[in-house]
Amino acid sequence: MAKHILRCTVNDEPIEVLVQPYVTLLDALREDLGLTGPKEGCGTGDCGACTVHLDGEPVASCLVLAMQARERSVRTIEGLAKGTLHPLQDAFVRGGIPQCGFCIPGVLMAAAAVLGRHARPTEEQIRYGIAGNLCRCTGYTKMVAAITEAAASMQEETLR
Amino acid sequence: MSTMKTTRDVRGVGLAIPRPDGPEKVTGRVQYVADIKPRGLLHGKLLRSPHAHARILRIDTSRARALPGVRAVLTAADIPELKRKAPTRAHAVLAIDRAVFAGQPVAAVAADEVAIAEEALDLIDVQYEVLPAAVDPLRAMQPGAPPVADAGTEADTSEALAHSAVAMAKGETPTKAVNVSQTSHVKRGDVAKGFADSEVIIEQTYRVPMVHQGYIEPHAVLAEWDTAGNLTLWASTQGSFNTRSEVADVLGIEENRIKVIPIECGGGFGGKIRALCEPITALLARATGRPVRYVMTRREELEAGMPAPQVIIRLKTGAKRDGSLMALEAETVLESGAFSGTVLAVSAVFLGSLYRWPAFDIKGSEVLTHKPSVAAYRAPVAPQTIFAIDAQMEQLARALGLDPIEFRARHLSRPGEPMVNNQPWASNGAHEVLARAAAHPVWTERAAWKAGGTRERLRGTGLALGGWLGGLQPTGATVKLNPDGTLSVLTGQVDIAGTNIALAQIAASAYGLDVEKVKITTGDTDVAPVTGLSAGSKTVYTVGVAVMQAAQDARRQTLEIAAAELEASVADLEIVDGRVVVRGVPDRGVTLTQIGRKGNLYMSKVPPVLGTAHPAFSQQAPAFAAQIARIEIDPDTGELTLHDFVVVQDAGRAINPLGVEGQMQGGAVQSLGMALTEALTYDDRGRLTNPSLLDYRKLTAADLPNIETIIVEVPSPAGPFGARGVGEPPIVPAPAAIANAIEDATGVRITECPLTSERIAMALVARSSAGAGGPR
Repeated sequence: MAKHILRCTVNDEPIEVLVQPYVTLLDALREDLGLTGPKEGCGTGDCGACTVHLDGEPVASCLVLAMQARERSVRTIEGLAKGTLHPLQDAFVRGGIPQCGFCIPGVLMAAAAVLGRHARPTEEQIRYGIAGNLCRCTGYTKMVAAITEAAASMQEETLR
Repeated sequence: MSTMKTTRDVRGVGLAIPRPDGPEKVTGRVQYVADIKPRGLLHGKLLRSPHAHARILRIDTSRARALPGVRAVLTAADIPELKRKAPTRAHAVLAIDRAVFAGQPVAAVAADEVAIAEEALDLIDVQYEVLPAAVDPLRAMQPGAPPVADAGTEADTSEALAHSAVAMAKGETPTKAVNVSQTSHVKRGDVAKGFADSEVIIEQTYRVPMVHQGYIEPHAVLAEWDTAGNLTLWASTQGSFNTRSEVADVLGIEENRIKVIPIECGGGFGGKIRALCEPITALLARATGRPVRYVMTRREELEAGMPAPQVIIRLKTGAKRDGSLMALEAETVLESGAFSGTVLAVSAVFLGSLYRWPAFDIKGSEVLTHKPSVAAYRAPVAPQTIFAIDAQMEQLARALGLDPIEFRARHLSRPGEPMVNNQPWASNGAHEVLARAAAHPVWTERAAWKAGGTRERLRGTGLALGGWLGGLQPTGATVKLNPDGTLSVLTGQVDIAGTNIALAQIAASAYGLDVEKVKITTGDTDVAPVTGLSAGSKTVYTVGVAVMQAAQDARRQTLEIAAAELEASVADLEIVDGRVVVRGVPDRGVTLTQIGRKGNLYMSKVPPVLGTAHPAFSQQAPAFAAQIARIEIDPDTGELTLHDFVVVQDAGRAINPLGVEGQMQGGAVQSLGMALTEALTYDDRGRLTNPSLLDYRKLTAADLPNIETIIVEVPSPAGPFGARGVGEPPIVPAPAAIANAIEDATGVRITECPLTSERIAMALVARSSAGAGGPR
């Protein structure tokens, strides 16, 4: 099959890459662009480890064809913050949350989307916001606390 | 070995500090096997049997081999190392002439791209003769059942020994029953008389299905050979030395020709102990002369991983009206799938000796079926066993009108009392944990909670106690002082959950230097001391001792060098803020930097400081957890809502409370998954009916409340600074605690997991059609 030219923005940088039409966005990011932060845990959209933002909305990148990102903006965990930790990342580190760490990039992208929708999310909004992300190590409790804490610190930052 | 006494004022043991590799994990920079892409990489794929039991008549790979981009196609005929009577799943690299479970690999392909490898699988033509399959373990034991193993295949107990360290006599007579691969039988006292004298007898059969460990990273391995015949494996494994031994044994090569690099492991929980896809990936790499990466799909994980066994326990217990326990009789069946390898002894210990039964008779059988062979899953067989024995205690207490917690506490074994294998229970905090849980408001306020329910929303509370005996395995560590006065710790222990920060804290406290000055590395099998599995709740307990002793050794060497330097006695020296000083004379000292530098100077007579330790262990440290569940049930739909969940656990000494809490919460949610939603379900031909994470339902953040944690500290005599293993206890109690809560809410006892809405609703319907009254 002939490859197609995919032009889009990934983590704020314009990119151009040749991809097979059947390749998923996840595989294009991982195999062609070297962005291995998004993980494949199931390949069927059930585990959320591959979550990235497409035009600001969280998607399971294993269910999106790479060519569907044409002329659109993609953000991966590598682009969540530049040169520093995002408040969510910082709260996850300080909370000692990552154990095996495999789900964490996807959880953080889902959590960032929650904070995009709600400046001060309730526990329920957080729990439903990351309900598409399976984690087997943490039991989620510390994640919910860290997301709440990050929201508070970001709001403080805005008010300052 | 004594618990290290330290009055040293350093940042070390006991601090709740985050792991230093946290930033790597939250930025997506940390590398797992599937993230590595060497030049010339090929991708492996396996063709798997669609049948649970079939004879392989013919395999034609010619069309697959002809596909452009395909670099190798292997079948059993291409692998001279294969043994017909494969003792383990790892040895059965590819099916030879018979497939014994649906999902068993039959052929392997390496190709330039995953898509090409997948296409090649479609081009392999296999002719099968489908044979009758043994699917239900109880029927598989009956005469005439289709046999699973080839005649003469021996039981595999290696994992049981490494993981649980329970010595147990084997069954008295070698069994001849079909598909029964291991038996055990323990008894004490006069059981018949015990039941004859009993005034209350409860008999039930409990069943917990096969469940998957559920790690989010599927099995993955990358293999590459050099021209001299040395193999490098990047493996997602819980034990790189175990992987090395198994691969060496399967391939028939020397262990020092294999380097296993313990790359980041995206969760294992027992499912990544045994070699699974390492041998075939190594063979594909050898056949092609190229690096080959193989990553299992989620469907393959669920169909052909190494899940936890199904456990069926028939349990009969008798007591007197005054609450005295009289007798226990049990028959345990562990469904092992197509290969032997379950942890049979653990079940008998918890059934017969968690509580003090004056008479017991416990028979256990491991049964083979035409399903994927099983492996450990966090506290293997303990949650399933506690589901049974705790339910019996609860029902006895209710039948006798006794407080269920006082009843348990009265009969709970104490340290020194005999286990079923006549070994004494080691020091443990089971009583302390139970007492602490019984004092928790979620438990003490259970009557008010229940009274607040309505006919449409029934309320209940359940509590259960369970634990783990504690694994043991020899290990080793080195601690070296660097020329700048910092410490480097080396072990071969795979760090999955964050154990390395705890080990660094141990080194810091044992040596006398802040943890920020200590760096710990997990070395590969070429460079690190031989060590055991990251399993069995023993990483901190055993490797922690090795690190502690190595740090003490390094400290001793450091002080000896300083003593010569300062013309003082070692006994008068202490390490304060990175300097060795004479006690009471703080300006008479030498810095660790000076000592470190002297160990690395040209012509220096001061040797470099290198602390080593390689302890072997004999003393277990059992660890217990109690869990309390507060629930609501809609009696029309059976829907269960979990409102509160509390974990009380004895950590011995919490080396890093942050890590301990993480273990408690994560283990509790796995336990709740086993209790509420998870089951691998098979049709009558042995095919998995729920091979996706949509249908194999794990708990999500939206299903759960916050998990409250309470750490109890009853120091272990032999662990580092009194620590006990913390990984396994929290996965044990929830199935029992939830079943107890359901009985509290509805009056109905459910004996089969998962405790789904359907099962609850059906049990309530069955009760009303039987004409019983409403909830008690």
